[in-house]
Amino acid sequence: MKTFIKVTEIWVPDKQRTHLEFGSGLYGGLVEFKAASEQQQFAYNEGLPGKAWAEGRPLVLKEFEQSYFKRTAAAKAVGLTCGIAIPVFSGDFLLAVVVFLCADDEHHAGAIEVWSNQRSSEQSLTVIDGYYGSLHHFEQISRDINVAKDQGLAGLAWAQGLPVLIDDISKADSFIRADDAEQAGITMGIGIPVSDSLSASYIMTFLSAKATPLAKRIQIWVPDLQGEQLICLEGYSKNPNELAQLFETTTVTKGVGALGRVWLTGMPVITGDHELDYNPELISLSSMLAIPVIEQGRLKAIVSFLF
Amino acid sequence: MNKLNVLLIEQDPNITSLENELKAIGFIYLKTQYDSTFLRLVKDIVPNIIIFNLDICSNTLFSDLKTLNQQSALPIIIFTRDSHVGTIELAIKADVCAFIVGDSEYKRLASIINVAMARFQHQQLLKAALEEACAKLEDRKLIDRAKAILIKTQNFTEDEAYHTLRKLAMDRNISLGEMAKNVLAMSELFK
Repeated sequence: MKTFIKVTEIWVPDKQRTHLEFGSGLYGGLVEFKAASEQQQFAYNEGLPGKAWAEGRPLVLKEFEQSYFKRTAAAKAVGLTCGIAIPVFSGDFLLAVVVFLCADDEHHAGAIEVWSNQRSSEQSLTVIDGYYGSLHHFEQISRDINVAKDQGLAGLAWAQGLPVLIDDISKADSFIRADDAEQAGITMGIGIPVSDSLSASYIMTFLSAKATPLAKRIQIWVPDLQGEQLICLEGYSKNPNELAQLFETTTVTKGVGALGRVWLTGMPVITGDHELDYNPELISLSSMLAIPVIEQGRLKAIVSFLF
Repeated sequence: MNKLNVLLIEQDPNITSLENELKAIGFIYLKTQYDSTFLRLVKDIVPNIIIFNLDICSNTLFSDLKTLNQQSALPIIIFTRDSHVGTIELAIKADVCAFIVGDSEYKRLASIINVAMARFQHQQLLKAALEEACAKLEDRKLIDRAKAILIKTQNFTEDEAYHTLRKLAMDRNISLGEMAKNVLAMSELFK
């Protein structure tokens, strides 16, 4: 069993805030690619992270060859073929860029999509970018549809301004591509609002199959009504995980612990064992990526992917 | 016992006293000299016991014996003229079963081998018991740390923390120590 996300990285502005430098990363056994990445820097509009910064929106790069991707040779050497960059902004200012790098794998079923209304006046979303691996039919369907606010996974996340997680997605009334998802083997999805600028809104959707989960557990944390503590709104994993559930009953204080730091700083974090290969078969959780959802300079939620 | 496979390491291949004794007792043996291929030779022929007959015992020899002990321990007997206290200490550290200074004991070879074999078995039992005790102690430390985390994060009493840990371990069909490791790893993620 494999996952199609092989590498997760966080790129952060340097001291002058003119370049992006390596912040943290999960590379599993890809030691050489890690070594090649740690030395990299990206200027504004340079490479995948720099381009996402300049465009102010999530990007999906399906082919590294002949592209603006800077680490093509190193990526090719370890079989990485595609990348997704998600910029985290507070207003006009970039806090970090989260990058996922994927390998072509015929055995996985999953997709990562970027939805947008293109112009703020438009009231519906379309797929403007996406990585579907081998799900060609599902890709075709997805690229042809429009979803209104409050409709489908992306529309719900857009309307609520919050991450939305749908389990058993092929049977969910709210998911308009349910039949197609069932055919493609997709079983769960999470929609995350990533950027809500004056010009357009952008929603990321992560769709995955039971056999190839994105992460062992996904959690959505939100500030409580008083805005004093973070509480876990939802936790999802393929199999029940009582230990994770136990930790989800705790509350998080601003600045305390990994999630507290995400709340305090607005910066995504990676914690845990950075060297371990992600093995969905093992029940133990060894690393975590936590991404903030920020709207108008305020933290709306944190999505944590536990591997 | 007669079928015992002996590796005899002689400093001087022309010396035959030990070899003759082994023949007389009826043991199967291979006679050779000590060199850098020693560990590979042991791996290849898998003897039941190794007997050295050396004037001087080098540090390299004890280093090889230490490695052998870690990989696949065997009963070791050393006949030597080297009676330095330092050498004896190294021999003890290398778990040598019999260390005999001088050559007047060859005639008692059969009983020396029997005692060495019995001592080796006893050493192995003690080692296994020690390893088990250490593992239990390590598990105990992990369990205590996991309990402390549950007490702190969940406001559990010590009893509640222990029972929660035990239930989680039972549900996953793993040991308490393994479950404690999972709790510690989980807590690291949120640190």
